[in-house]
Amino acid sequence: MNKAISTRLTFAVAILSLLIFIILWQVIAQQGLLVKNFPGSFKTIGSLIWWVSDPFFDNGPNDLGIGTNLLISLRRVLIGYSLAVLVAVPLGVLMGMSKLAQSSLNPYVQLLKPVSPLAWLPVGLFVFRNSEITGIFVIFITSIWPTLINTAFGVASINPDYLRVSKSLGASKSTTIRRVILPAIMPNILAGMRISMGTAWLVIVAAEMLLGTGIGYFIWNEWNNLSLENIFVAIIIIGFTGFILDQFFGFLQDKFDYSI
Amino acid sequence: MNKKSSKKSSSIENYSHLELFNLGKIFFKEKKFIDFRSKGNRSGFEAIKDINLKIEKNTFVSIIGPSGCGKSTLLNLIAGLQAPTSGKIVIDGQAIKGPGPDRGVIFQNYALMPWLTTIQNIEFALNTVFPAKTKADVKERARKYLRMVGLEKASNKFPKELSGGMKQRVAIARALSINPNMLLMDEPFGALDALTRSYLQDELLSIWRKNKVTVVLITHSIEEALLLSDKIVLMSSGPSAIISEEISVDLERPRDREKIEQDPNYLKIKMRLEKHLLRETRAVEEVT
Ligand SMILES: Nc1ncnc2c1ncn2[C@@H]1O[C@H](COP(=O)(O)OP(=O)(O)OP(=O)(O)O)[C@@H](O)[C@H]1O
Ligand SMILES: [Mg+2]
Repeated sequence: MNKAISTRLTFAVAILSLLIFIILWQVIAQQGLLVKNFPGSFKTIGSLIWWVSDPFFDNGPNDLGIGTNLLISLRRVLIGYSLAVLVAVPLGVLMGMSKLAQSSLNPYVQLLKPVSPLAWLPVGLFVFRNSEITGIFVIFITSIWPTLINTAFGVASINPDYLRVSKSLGASKSTTIRRVILPAIMPNILAGMRISMGTAWLVIVAAEMLLGTGIGYFIWNEWNNLSLENIFVAIIIIGFTGFILDQFFGFLQDKFDYSI
Repeated sequence: MNKKSSKKSSSIENYSHLELFNLGKIFFKEKKFIDFRSKGNRSGFEAIKDINLKIEKNTFVSIIGPSGCGKSTLLNLIAGLQAPTSGKIVIDGQAIKGPGPDRGVIFQNYALMPWLTTIQNIEFALNTVFPAKTKADVKERARKYLRMVGLEKASNKFPKELSGGMKQRVAIARALSINPNMLLMDEPFGALDALTRSYLQDELLSIWRKNKVTVVLITHSIEEALLLSDKIVLMSSGPSAIISEEISVDLERPRDREKIEQDPNYLKIKMRLEKHLLRETRAVEEVT
């Protein structure tokens, strides 16, 4: 009862603040308070409706529907990201389990982790001579570190009791990895995968401005058209998609939270 | 009674179930990559040394000692979870090389896997030890042991849904399911309330009688040791802890919690244990 009321209240406050924001935006733009010709919220919403009502048209690379562009970006992210997870999890387990692997790989991880993945873009273009593969490569590099580091940390900080039980039963190394270590570090892996996905979604937009096609290129293209309202449309779509992706991982994390 | 059984078993086979010879464990400091000071000097922490002990088949032995003296270390060595620095461990006449399903281990913190249900925790042990068994076989056997500790109804619950006592019963069922002939228990009831503890003590005794297992129990509680054991092993304070005394508990079984406390023999042993523990604990305090 009380909870229902507070939920409704929260919802009402959210709607109200959105309305106030839209009106303020419109007023500021209309009065030219910021800069001249700044698109107002009404124009942007009109644009949004136009783009969303027919999202999948294809009139050549410089005139794609926003849905088409979004799918192109999502596809690149999903491929690069999945490859990164496939590499990061086994490598993380190895680093967590073996002192040798840890001390031989950690310097590279520490050195490469702080580098913006965009620095790899020219390297990718030079090696692959293909913008599609380069995009996937950049996302791969982006996604690998958080998952790798979280996985390795999970293994290193695993409750020693689980390992003792496994050892006392005479379990083989592979049984211990598959049946004990992997399930035990699932929360760590998912936490890493969530951060990786968040970063990948940030980076793809920037990378695509240089690569052509995709939601990032859409922004670049609309900048060349000097159509700021379409850029706002892209920002809204990117934000919404990122939110959905993040919620998906939040849902998975709740499923694998053993403490509750 | 204890003496008699040991004589009997030694006439059939000339070794005990478990024999420890000059067992010692030194924990060496992990060598840092760059550590100039400890160059070539492998100094470590000697937890236990020169442990000699014989435990007969199907007896119940408790190990008592001051906190931090090396009881868990000793148990881990017997379980094969750690390698001794010196000496050897012989089970049924064979020196052990590592852990094995002939020994069921029960840990202080239950050590149940939180991602598995109660029955799956037991199935994990069974699948690991008996990889040839069919799925149905494993399930049936897991059920049987859950029934034994009275937790049939909780078979599909996760550990977080169980009380501490229930978790420890699952851990006991898991350890017994692989049909070990030795149970190694590290303060299994330490974290439980008094009522649950006495209930589980009774359960353990009946399991021990029915299953023909040798039990090595580590405990802090003198009363628990006296109630359950055939023999109590006293350890000195560490570092370099040794076995300072072995006491046979010649009290008739079944032992009644209330009545036993009036037994003059019980009181005599209890006083001896208390005196020992007090002395050794004082020794710890003087060192630190
Ligand atoms: N892996 C290890 N590395 C270094 N020292 C250790 C290690 N394990 C145990 N020790 C030391 O060995 C000594 C004995 O530890 P142990 O856990 O066996 O004692 P305990 O008798 O079981 O103590 P408690 O009564 O608190 O359970 C302690 O001083 C402990 O600090
Ligand atoms: Mg201990």
